[in-house]
Amino acid sequence: MAGLLVVVLAGGNLGVALSSLFLNPITLAGGVQQIFVRFVLFYTMALGVGLALKAGLWNIGAQGQLLIGMVMVFVVYTFLAFLPWPVLYLAMIVGAALGGLLWILVPTVLRVKFGANEIVVTILLNVVAVNFAFYMLSGPIKSTGTALGFPHSIELPSTFQIPYILGSPITYAVPATIILGVILYLVIERTPFRVRANTVGESPETARYAGISIPRMMAITMLAAGALAGLAGATYIMGFRYELDIGSFSTNYGLVAIICALVGRKHMIGIGLASFFFAYMTIGAESMALSANVPTYVVFAMEGIMMIGILLGAYLTERRYAV
Amino acid sequence: MTAASDIIATVLSVMLQQSPFFIFAAMGEIVSEQAGVANLGLEGIMEISLVTTFIIEYVTGDAWIALFAAMGIAGAVGAFFALTTLRLRMDQIAAGLAIYLFGLGISFVIFNTAYPTGLTPNYVGLPPLVASWNKVPFVGVIFLKQNVLVYVSMVFVVATAFFLNRTSYGLRVRAVGENPKAADNMGVNVNKVRFLAVLFGAMTFGVAGFYFAGNFVSGFQTDIIAGRGFIVLAMVYFANWKPYRALFAALSFNLVYALQIEYVSLSGSGVASFTTLFNMLPYVFLLALIPVFGRKARAPKFLLKPYRKG
Repeated sequence: MAGLLVVVLAGGNLGVALSSLFLNPITLAGGVQQIFVRFVLFYTMALGVGLALKAGLWNIGAQGQLLIGMVMVFVVYTFLAFLPWPVLYLAMIVGAALGGLLWILVPTVLRVKFGANEIVVTILLNVVAVNFAFYMLSGPIKSTGTALGFPHSIELPSTFQIPYILGSPITYAVPATIILGVILYLVIERTPFRVRANTVGESPETARYAGISIPRMMAITMLAAGALAGLAGATYIMGFRYELDIGSFSTNYGLVAIICALVGRKHMIGIGLASFFFAYMTIGAESMALSANVPTYVVFAMEGIMMIGILLGAYLTERRYAV
Repeated sequence: MTAASDIIATVLSVMLQQSPFFIFAAMGEIVSEQAGVANLGLEGIMEISLVTTFIIEYVTGDAWIALFAAMGIAGAVGAFFALTTLRLRMDQIAAGLAIYLFGLGISFVIFNTAYPTGLTPNYVGLPPLVASWNKVPFVGVIFLKQNVLVYVSMVFVVATAFFLNRTSYGLRVRAVGENPKAADNMGVNVNKVRFLAVLFGAMTFGVAGFYFAGNFVSGFQTDIIAGRGFIVLAMVYFANWKPYRALFAALSFNLVYALQIEYVSLSGSGVASFTTLFNMLPYVFLLALIPVFGRKARAPKFLLKPYRKG
C-alpha cells in the first residue's frame, strides 16, 4: 500500500511496519480500547456529516463543532456544578450537543437566509473555534491546579466518566453510539426522509416541484450534523480523555469524519463500517509510525492517500459498469 | 507612550507585510474556480511548499531558488489534483481535502526526515526593499521595509484582472467555468484550459507557502499554517471571484489582524487571557461581511462539476 511506501521512504522497516499496521491494533495493550474510542468519535461525527451530505451540504466544520462540544462539557461542569449528579451528568452531554448545534447555527442561518456557501462559513468557524477553545482553556475553564506548561482543564472526577463495560476495554459509549446509528438508520433510511433529503441535495428544482421545503430540510440536516459533532466531543472527553488541553486542538478528526461519510456512501450503517475501518487503520498507522520510528503525522498522509485510493476505486467500478 | 504616528506606521506595515500570502493564493484560487475547479487542497499544497522552502533555502542559502522549488513542488501536486478531478472526475471537495490531509502529513514527514533532531533551519528570507529603511521616518517602516514580493503581489492582482477580463485566454478560462458545453462547441479544449488554470492556481499556493516562511514563521512545526490557507477560500467567495475585490478582502482582513496585534502588544499583560479571544477578530470580521457581500455572490455556473465531452 502507498501508505507503507511513505513509511519506508521516511526511513522505516517494512516488516515491522506491516505487522504493526495490521496486528498491533489488536495485540498491543490498549489497542482495542483505542480502536473503539476512535470508532465512537468518527461514527458520531460522520453520521452528521453524512446526513448533511444527503441534502447536498458540506459540513467541513465538524472539527470546530467537536471542539466546542468538548469545551461545553467543562463549561457545564464548572458553571452548573450545583446540579445533582445524574442531572449534571446528562446536562454535560446535552450541553455538548447544544454547543455543536449553536456553532453550526451560524452557517445554517447564513445558508438558508442569505444563500451563503456553507463550506466557506464552516471552514472559517473552525479557526474561530480553535481560538475560542483556547481562550476558554486559558480562562474560564482553566485548571487552577499547580501543573505547569500549556493551559489545560481540570480532570473530570470518576463519577463523571463514562464507565467501562464489566472490565472490558469498551465503554458504554460504544453500544450507545451503535444504537444511535441504528435509530438514525431507521428514522432516515427507512422512511421517505431519505428520498426527500436526496432530492434536495441532488435536484433542488425537483424538490421545489414536489413541495419539499428546501430551507427546512437544510436546517434540519445541518443542525443535526452540528449536534452530533458536539455529542462526539462529550463522548470523547467523558469516555476517554477526561480533560482538555491544546493537544486536542490541532488533530483533524473532522476531516476523517468526512472521509468516513463519503466512504460509507452517506448510508447510516455504511458510515458505521467505514468509521470502524478508519478507526482500525488509524490506530494501526499510529502504532506503525511509532514502531518504525517515523512521526505519527505520517497518518494524515496515509489517510489522504487512502481517500484518493478509495475515490479511485469508486471511479473504476463505475466505469466498469457504465455502458 | 508610543506616538500615534508610530502605531499607525506599525499597523500599516504589518498589514502590507502579511497580505501577499493571501493575495497570491487568492488570485490562483480565483483563476482555478473561474475555470470551474475549486481546490480545497490549497493549505496542504502550502504546507508542502513551506517545508520545501525551508529545506532548499537551508541547503542553497538562496531564497529565489527556494521560491522556484516551492512553485515546482506545488505545481506537481496541483497537476496530480487536476488528474484526479479532471481526468478521473473525482469529487473536487473530497479530492481537495485528501490533498490537504496528504500535504499536512507528508510535509511533517519530509521535515522530520531532513532534520530528525527537530533542528530549526537558519532561515534567511527576502531582504527589505531598501536596506536603510529605518532612516526614513514613517514611510520607511510602511513601504521601504517590505520585501519585493509585497509589490509584486499588487502588480499580480492587476495582471490577473487584466488576464481574466481583457484577454482571449482569460475569456476561455471563464467560459469553461461558466458554460463548458458552449466553450467546447467553440473549439476550446475544456479540460486542457481547466488543467492549466489548476496548475496556475497551485503554483500561486507555492508562492504563498514560500512567503509564509519568514513572514509568518521562522521555523517549521506540524500544521503550522493552521487554517490560514483556508481563509483564502472565504476571501475569494466575498470577492465574488473578482481579483480587485479579493485584494480588498485580503487587505481589510490583515488590517483587522494588524490592529488586533498592535492593541494586544500595547495593552501588555493586562489582557493576556483575552489575547486568544482577540485572535478571533479577523475571522469574525470576515464572517460579518457575509450577509453584506456574500448575498450577491454568484459562483461560476459549472464550479465543482466535471466535464465530459459529448
